[in-house]
Parts: sequence; C-alpha cells; structure tokens
Amino acid sequence: MQFRLEKRPEPSKLMLYVTPVASVLLTMLVGAIIFSLIGYDGVGAVREIFLTPLTNSFKWQDLGVKAAPLIIIGVGLSIAYRANVWNIGAEGQYVMGGLAATGVALATYGMTGWWILPLMMIAGIAGGAAYAAVPALLKTRLGVNEILTSLMLTYASVQLIYYLVRAPWKDPMGMGFPQTRRFAADALLPNIIPGTIVHLGVPIAIVVALIAWFVMSRSVFGYQMKVVGAAPHAARYGGFSENKTIWLALLVSGALAGLAGMLEVAGPFQRMVPGFPTNYGFTAIIVAFLGRLNPLGVILAGIVMAITFVGGEVAQTTIGLSSSATGVFQSMMLFFLLAGDILVRYRLKRVIPAQEARA
Amino acid sequence: MPLRLQLTGITKRFPGVLANDNVSFSVKPGEIHALLGENGAGKSTLVKMIYGIMQPDAGEIVWDGQPVVVSSPKAARKLGIGMVFQHFSLFEALTVLENIALGMDAKIPARDLEARIRQVMAQYGLLLDPHRTVATLSVGERQRIEIVRALLLEPKLLIMDEPTSVLTPQEVEQLFDVLRRLAAQGCSILYISHKLHEIKALCDTATILRGGRLVDTCDPKQETSRSMAEKMIGAGLKDIVRPEGRSMGEPKLVVSRLSTAKTGHFDVPVNKVSFTVRAGEIFGIAGVAGNGQNALLDALSGEIRSDDAESITIDGFPLGLLDTTERRKRGLCAVPEERNGHAAVGEFSLSDNSVLTARDRLGMVVMGLINSGAARTYTGKVIAEFAVKALGPASMAGSLSGGNLQKYIMGREILQKPSVLVVSQPTWGVDAGAAAAIHQALVDLAAVGSAIVVISQDLDELRALCDTLAVINLGQLSPAKPNAEMSIEEIGLLMGGVHGATEAHDAVPA
Repeated sequence: MQFRLEKRPEPSKLMLYVTPVASVLLTMLVGAIIFSLIGYDGVGAVREIFLTPLTNSFKWQDLGVKAAPLIIIGVGLSIAYRANVWNIGAEGQYVMGGLAATGVALATYGMTGWWILPLMMIAGIAGGAAYAAVPALLKTRLGVNEILTSLMLTYASVQLIYYLVRAPWKDPMGMGFPQTRRFAADALLPNIIPGTIVHLGVPIAIVVALIAWFVMSRSVFGYQMKVVGAAPHAARYGGFSENKTIWLALLVSGALAGLAGMLEVAGPFQRMVPGFPTNYGFTAIIVAFLGRLNPLGVILAGIVMAITFVGGEVAQTTIGLSSSATGVFQSMMLFFLLAGDILVRYRLKRVIPAQEARA
Repeated sequence: MPLRLQLTGITKRFPGVLANDNVSFSVKPGEIHALLGENGAGKSTLVKMIYGIMQPDAGEIVWDGQPVVVSSPKAARKLGIGMVFQHFSLFEALTVLENIALGMDAKIPARDLEARIRQVMAQYGLLLDPHRTVATLSVGERQRIEIVRALLLEPKLLIMDEPTSVLTPQEVEQLFDVLRRLAAQGCSILYISHKLHEIKALCDTATILRGGRLVDTCDPKQETSRSMAEKMIGAGLKDIVRPEGRSMGEPKLVVSRLSTAKTGHFDVPVNKVSFTVRAGEIFGIAGVAGNGQNALLDALSGEIRSDDAESITIDGFPLGLLDTTERRKRGLCAVPEERNGHAAVGEFSLSDNSVLTARDRLGMVVMGLINSGAARTYTGKVIAEFAVKALGPASMAGSLSGGNLQKYIMGREILQKPSVLVVSQPTWGVDAGAAAAIHQALVDLAAVGSAIVVISQDLDELRALCDTLAVINLGQLSPAKPNAEMSIEEIGLLMGGVHGATEAHDAVPA
C-alpha cells in the first residue's frame, strides 16, 4: 500500500492553532508509552515532567526564571525565521551577550551606581548583535549559508568563555576555580518578588514579546520580514532589499539573544562560569516554532518548554529519570509539531496501483 | 472505418473543483481536432487522461473500437498516442540525437536511431541536425525535437498542447504544414489552443470546453472567430472603446541605451534598448518568450538598477539609479508577468498586498507604522472599480482565480494614477471577460495622459491595444513603428531575429 501527500486547497485556520496543542498532548502520550516500554514508570514520568511544575506552586518561580530567556531568544528567532533567515546560532549570541555584560560588570567592579545595569544591558545587546553580524556579513557578501556559520560560531563562543574564565577574568579569590568573581550588587538583577528567585528578567521578557508582537503586526519592519519570507521576489518588486532584511533579521535576533545572555549572567548566575551555555539558544528554536513564529505564541511556548525543564529536574529526583529524558520530550514535541504542520497543509491519500492497459 | 478515439462521459474531480464534467467527443482517423477553451476550462486535464498521466473518475475511453484503460504514458505510447507538451523536457547540454534516445521506451542502437530520425524528418519536412547541441537551438527547433520524438513511435494520435505559444508566425506556418501532412497520412491530431484564427486555419472539427463541460462541437470553418470566442467564454465579447480625438502629448518615458548584466545561465539580458513613449500612448513590445522581456521589465521597474541615471527618464527627470520605491514615488508603476509570488503574495490578504506597492504613493505608512485602515479602504475601491470577484479586502490573494487576481493587481497599480505604467503579459492566462476589462482599463489610463508600455507575447493583444510597436529579440529592441504601418510578416521576421532587411530599409530614408 502506497501513500501520497496531496496539497489541501486551503489549510484550516483552526488547525494552525490546534497543532501546537496536539503536539504537546501527543508528546505526553507517546512519551508515556516509550518510557513504560523501556522499564520506567512512563505515566509517572509524564506526570512529573508536565504536571508537577504546574500543580506545585513552589515550582512556579522556577518556571518564570526558565521561561524568561527562552521567550526573549524565541521572540528574536521568530522574527528572523519569518524572513526565512535561519539563525541557528542564538546560543552563541546569548553567550557573547553574557560575556559582554560580564566585561562591563568586571570593569565597573568596585563602582556603584544605577547606570551599571543599563550599561550591561546595552553591552549584552551589542555583543549578541555583533556576533550575529558575522553570519550576516558572510551571507550578504559571499553568499555563505547562515545556518552553518551561525551554528559554528556557537562553538567558538563557548571556547571564548573557557579562555576568559581561566585566564584574564579568573576570580582572584576563587581558589583556582575557572570562573569570574561574583558581580557587585549594582551589577546584579534585582529580585522583583521578595522571597523568590524571580528577577527583573521575567517582566522584561513579557514586555519584549508584547513590543515584538506590536512591531511585527503593525509596522513596515514587520511587513518587510513577512513579505521577504513569504515571497522574496515580490518583496524585491515591493521595494524591500533582501540584503537589508538579512541584516535586520540577524541583528535583531542576535540582539535579543544577547539581552537574554545579559539577564542570565546578571540574574541566576551572578558571575560567568564555564557552565553558562545551557542550550537556551537551541531550545528557543523549538519555542519559536511551537509559538507559531508569533511573539504572543512564543510566550506560551516558552512556558511549556520551561515546564519540561523544571519537570525534567523533578523527574530526575523523584523517579530517577536521566536528564536526557527532558531532551527526548522536547525533541518529540518539535517532531510532532513539524509533522502536524505537514498534515495541516497536505492530506494523506492512498495511491491505488494503476491497472495495466488492457489493449 | 471505426473512430480513432471516443470519449464517453469522462469526469474528473479535484479537491474543490470539477475539472471535467461528463465530457464526450470523438476523433476520426486523419482528423485535426481542436480542443478549445479558456485557461481552466479543463483541456489539459482531459488530454492528461487520454495520455495516461491521470485516470478519469468516471467515463470510458474507446480506442480504435476497443474500450481501454490508459494506465500510464508508456501504455499510451504503446497504443499509439503521442504527445508534444507545451513545456519541453530536453537536456540543454546534450545533442538532438542524445535527447531523443533518452526519451525512447525501447533501446535502439544510435546508428539505427539516427537513420530513423533522418527518415522521419525527410518524410515530414522537419529540418534539424541530429548532432546539434540543444542549447544552440531556437524554441521552434526544440519543438521539432519533441515532434520527431513523438513521430518515431508512428503514432495514430498526436496530442499538441498549445504548440504555437512560443513560435513566430513563420514557424507556426511550418508547423501547420507538418501537421497537415501527418493528418493526410491518417494520423489524427488533437490540437489544444485558445487561438481562434489558428484553429480556423488548421482544424476540421473543434470541441469547445467551458468550466469543465463540453459546450459545443462545431466546424471551425463554418464559424467566425467571434462566434467561437463567445461559445468559449459563454458571453458576448466587448470591444475596446477608444475615446474620440485622442492625441499624443509630449515624450513622457524616454529609455536610452538601457542594458542589464547577464545574471543566470539561461536568462537573456537587455542590450542598449532605446525607445520613447509619449503621454497618452500605448507602446507595445512583442517578442517570443525568453528574449529579454523579464530583464526589461525588471530594469524599468527598478528591481534591476541601471548604472546610468539618464538611461530612464520621466518628463526629463533621470530615474536610472533609483530603486523601485523611489521610482514609484516618481510615478512609474510596473506589473510583472508572474502574478503569484512576484506581483502579489498569495499568503497575504489583498489588503496587505496593497501595502506592497501602494504604501508610499497613497500614504499608508505613518512613522514606520502601517495604516491598515487606509490599505483596506483602497483595496475595497480596487475590488469595486475593477469588479474583482473576492469576498473583500481580507481575502487571501492566493484564493483568487488567475483572472481576478490579475484584475486586482492591475487595479492596484492603475488607481495609483501612475504617469508611466509598464505591464508584462497583462492578460496571460486570464479569461476573455477579464482580459477585455484589463484592456479597457489600460486604454482609459492612456486617455488621461499616462504613458503605457505593454510587453506581451500575444500578438493579437498588441495589435488590438497599441499605438506603437517594437519587437524584442535576444535582448535587443527593433526600431518602433506605428502599429497600423507594421505587417504581421514584418513582426514575425523581427521576432525570429531577422533584423537585416528591415533595418537596412529603415536606415536609408532616415
């Protein structure tokens, strides 16, 4: 029996919104089956990963803190992906943003003032954008694929952390540990809810998403991103330069990844450590798609993805599930989402084997 | 003698559309049978079922008196059905002989094949060197390869899908000679076209389809082009109304020595093109497809910028260095040939498509933000004034039929009141009713003093519409002449690239 994909005359609007939800539910179902088959308590695993973070109010602050960087980076990527600019290296731009902010924090060590945090923020944004400018330059000048360059630059950025925390930026009082000193108080993000770990980055993430939503839906910039992605030829006819769009898409997504890096290093980490790259930049790719490349959807998707992170940690302690299980669940989600998207646009049709000519 | 081919009650349904609805007709041996209809009438679907590319949902195909199921093109060729497609499937880098060998179902030694090819060519007067590389051949010669390929199988029925859309008038005559010879030897020909004068000249019978249904089977020699056209569109044809006492004004658009660089391997750049269009004039550019029309449109619209500011001027103002947005602000609007993905974005609403080209001329952008209300209002106006069949400004452009989308696009540009409008293939694949509306809109725009350039492969359209004509061939433009003073033979020779005689002729008195 053979099957063939047949294009639907018009994809259903409803299905476009149902697929992300369905892919999450399918992930839970299939995850439960798979983990049961390999000898774990599958249903328990799904319950711990997807439900405990929501039912246990102590975990909510973790959700906010994990979701914030995912949302900020995811929003940037959703803008770039709209324009068909495939920035896969948000992780590297996040690292460079974190390093640039660290540089400011270390240079101003011993000083006080309200201006230090904004300066770190600007440095973080600039660091991320500058790192994304490399693939932009290579793409527009030499036609080098941005997927490759942005991805490979991620690994270079990680090596740069290793170097900096082992030599020039090493904490003089750190007993040889490869890490910087803890930032001074004025270089740390304030907590906004006393008694929790919720820092200023959480509301910033929501504000960033709302601004991005407004810009994407109402401005010429948003129109340009969408038209270049949907029909590059028409965009040129409409007067939008493709190279300019590539630059804008990479700079904006790099800047937001850099901002996320700054918020992380000045928030939860409080110093630069070799363990700073925690794959937020890669996970945000899933967040961007799960959120339908819409900044408001990215908020929800960021929370869902944060649930799997927090839940994954819960499951590690309660039922001894390996930490890679989180990755398996996240990947399944992306897989079901992409597969679902195909079925929204195409229908599966059985091919009836043709009979031979009788004549 | 039994009928060669008989179709009874053929029905084919696609998602959302009934492509063929209970179609029945028959073809006699040696008959040249026209299949006539507008784009989307179901002609292509019908022949695809005869040639085995698709299977009918219902109905019967009877071949030489035997009911058959044509399961694949290979089965069709076995029965003796050959087909020459509108788009050729040839490898540019290979020779004629190699291309034909690749397309054969059976393996034949090259020497025998060459002998057979030469024999077929001699028999039907098809001139072609089997050892030439395809890349060096003209479109007409390439079509001959496809015909030879089909004839080698000694078909009893040859299907020709819109064979003349890429040919010059002289090449069309040669093709007709071949087809008449074939028919005289008993081969039936199913000739698909929407060009009525060709069908009158060539065909014995015409089957007319409209909206997937058979409307009439008639003898084209007993009909007028007009009566067949009216059957084809199912309504009376409207003539273009030209305002009385029209006079041309001052030169508006002046193009001088405009050239583009060669970008891709197979595209044709334009080379030192010069022409002048006066206010109120409709200037036609004829030519066989692929002779630089796309480059010319892009160079005029600003998608390709010139390095010489003076190469394009409007009312004396140099535009050559400006991009599309700046040229639009200066009054130059353009409509490219490809509707979906170039002139419009299928996934966007009509309202958003209006933003694409009208945002600056009509003030739809305030401080970097799009005034969607203004876009909606303007789109509503375009829909109303150009009778676009759409639910409203929020309809997706991709959900419109080709003709309706083209009406919207033309309306979007014309209602911006451009002082110069450049259009390519304004009625390509558009039904006759919409085509008439578009032609009328162009004439009306010229009447209020705009300069209009129409690039088209459809000679009938240019003859009916234009005041002045020039021909583009291999990126070069012939000298312009008043439409009325140009004979069809002269245009044909220019399209085929024979500049010598006419140029020498023109040069002496000037």
